[in-house]
Amino acid sequence: MAEHLLDVADLSVRFDTDDGPVHAVDRLSFTLDPGEVLGIVGESGCGKSVSCMSLVRLLPETAAISGTAVFAGRDLLGLSQRRLRQVRGREISFVFQEPMTSLNPVFTVGRQIGEVLERHLDLSQRAARARALELLRLVRIPAPERRLHEYPHQLSGGMRQRVMIAMALACDPKVLVADEPTTALDVTIQAGILDLMRDIRERLGTAIILITHNLGVVADIADRVLVMYAGRKAEEAAADELFAHPQHPYTIGLLGAIPRPTAGAPPERLQEIPGRVPSLRELPVGCAFAERCPRADETTRTHVPDLREVRPSHLVACFHPGETGAS
Amino acid sequence: MSAVDTAALTNPRARRRVLLRKRFLRRPMAVAGLVVVIGFTVVAIFAPWIAPYKAGATDFNAILAHPSSKHLLGTDFLGRDELSRLIWGARASMQAGFFATVLAMVVAVPIGLVAGYYRGWVDTVIARLTDVLLAFPFLILAVGLAAIFGASLLNATLALGIGAAPILIRVARGETFALREEDYVPAAIANGASDATIIFKHILPNMTSTLLVQATITIPGAIVGEAILSFLGLGVQPPTPSWGTMLQDAQSYLMQAPRLAVFPGLAIVLAALAFNVLGDGLRDIFDPRTTR
Repeated sequence: MAEHLLDVADLSVRFDTDDGPVHAVDRLSFTLDPGEVLGIVGESGCGKSVSCMSLVRLLPETAAISGTAVFAGRDLLGLSQRRLRQVRGREISFVFQEPMTSLNPVFTVGRQIGEVLERHLDLSQRAARARALELLRLVRIPAPERRLHEYPHQLSGGMRQRVMIAMALACDPKVLVADEPTTALDVTIQAGILDLMRDIRERLGTAIILITHNLGVVADIADRVLVMYAGRKAEEAAADELFAHPQHPYTIGLLGAIPRPTAGAPPERLQEIPGRVPSLRELPVGCAFAERCPRADETTRTHVPDLREVRPSHLVACFHPGETGAS
Repeated sequence: MSAVDTAALTNPRARRRVLLRKRFLRRPMAVAGLVVVIGFTVVAIFAPWIAPYKAGATDFNAILAHPSSKHLLGTDFLGRDELSRLIWGARASMQAGFFATVLAMVVAVPIGLVAGYYRGWVDTVIARLTDVLLAFPFLILAVGLAAIFGASLLNATLALGIGAAPILIRVARGETFALREEDYVPAAIANGASDATIIFKHILPNMTSTLLVQATITIPGAIVGEAILSFLGLGVQPPTPSWGTMLQDAQSYLMQAPRLAVFPGLAIVLAALAFNVLGDGLRDIFDPRTTR
């Protein structure tokens, strides 16, 4: 691969709070190729949303961001606010977790989609309407002509998330960041939305960063998976490789925590990862996962593991990688 | 259900209008308020056609005359028709009430939006200055300003508008605080919206009902304020009629002709009350928790 669409290197995000600095993201590097689906997995507060939001500076001003994020030949982190506004929604779009409240209640669906189009593509109101209708069709909303004139409160959660996706796709962005897009939805609706995302990647070639805490969702559509823990990358590999040969004990723990009902057999007790996520305010000296890790020893408690390529294109930050003996 | 109704119900905007109208019509006080407000407005606008006499027309054969068929509400000490002067006086009151409120909105809402949206030192400065202005009672502030500007209806309106602004700044600022935390704000930022777009296209439209209700509270305040300023000689100048100057004139004849004070007083009370009642009704129907 000659050049990546997005090349993030050594991205760090620090929040200076009253109680001292919080390292939300610590030297994170990843790449994204055109048309690729990258899944970023981790527990709440592991820095997965923050790292993506920092790319186009959607964070509060207390966030100190360092590193580089080269997108289409320029470093996003060095762009002015003005330039960034042209990137947001135009080239990099976001879909957030809360479809119920992310739409402005006083405007019709058509007007909200139209607003984005008028802003970035300078379309006339009429052209924007036509394109909005096309987008609603693309995200498979039934009776799109009618929906165009409806207000958000008249739509269901799944429908609203489709509208959000339509808005995000309005200007044909190169990257779509979907931050827990299905978490607030019913399981059946979730499947529909994931289906839609897969379809979008195939039809439009949009690269997607899918942020989730749900490995099942990732297994469903991601090409590559990045597992984050306490602001750092723990493991990264192609999705098939990761699920077949997980190396990091944290990944193994996560996989063990997925319910796998077997017909006829009584349900087994789910494996959990003991302990809690360390506070980002006072990270341990060594490996952040050491406290909860069955493989922890003296080295892990005193040294931070570097990323190593243990199998082809399979990176792990662990002193004792391996598939077995996790718990 | 007729065909017209069905068509109206499929269009959501129309449906909301129908719902609001229904809720409004269930509130007899609010409806009465609206009727009176419209009545005063019509009287003010069409005063030259409605009033039986010119405002300054004197009838020296009927000085301090009792109500009669010729002068329905009697005459004042110069023989001017009381009813005609009430009708002409409605102009000053409605003008002051309306324009002072518009002025206050135009001044206060952008300031409140900016303070509430940017927070930080901008907000601190604006909020503290507002607090200082709020420390003065509305009327004291208006009287002071009117005294500085000089006595005329325009200046009284300016004074009342500026006097009403601090409260509106506070309302707009508070509302912005709440609205900027809504999820559609970061969503709009992520879509490339500028600060101005977010403030004026996303936040402002969401507070229109609050502002509308606030306006119906500000207008009666300004109407009463205009009457007081005119009474004190800081507003409308004689011989131009205004309810305030009429009260002032009536003072000297309180013993002989108390009705000269009663009628303009009633007009002021009625106008202010009507706006207040209407405002209460609007607040209720816009409240999403209202089920009736």
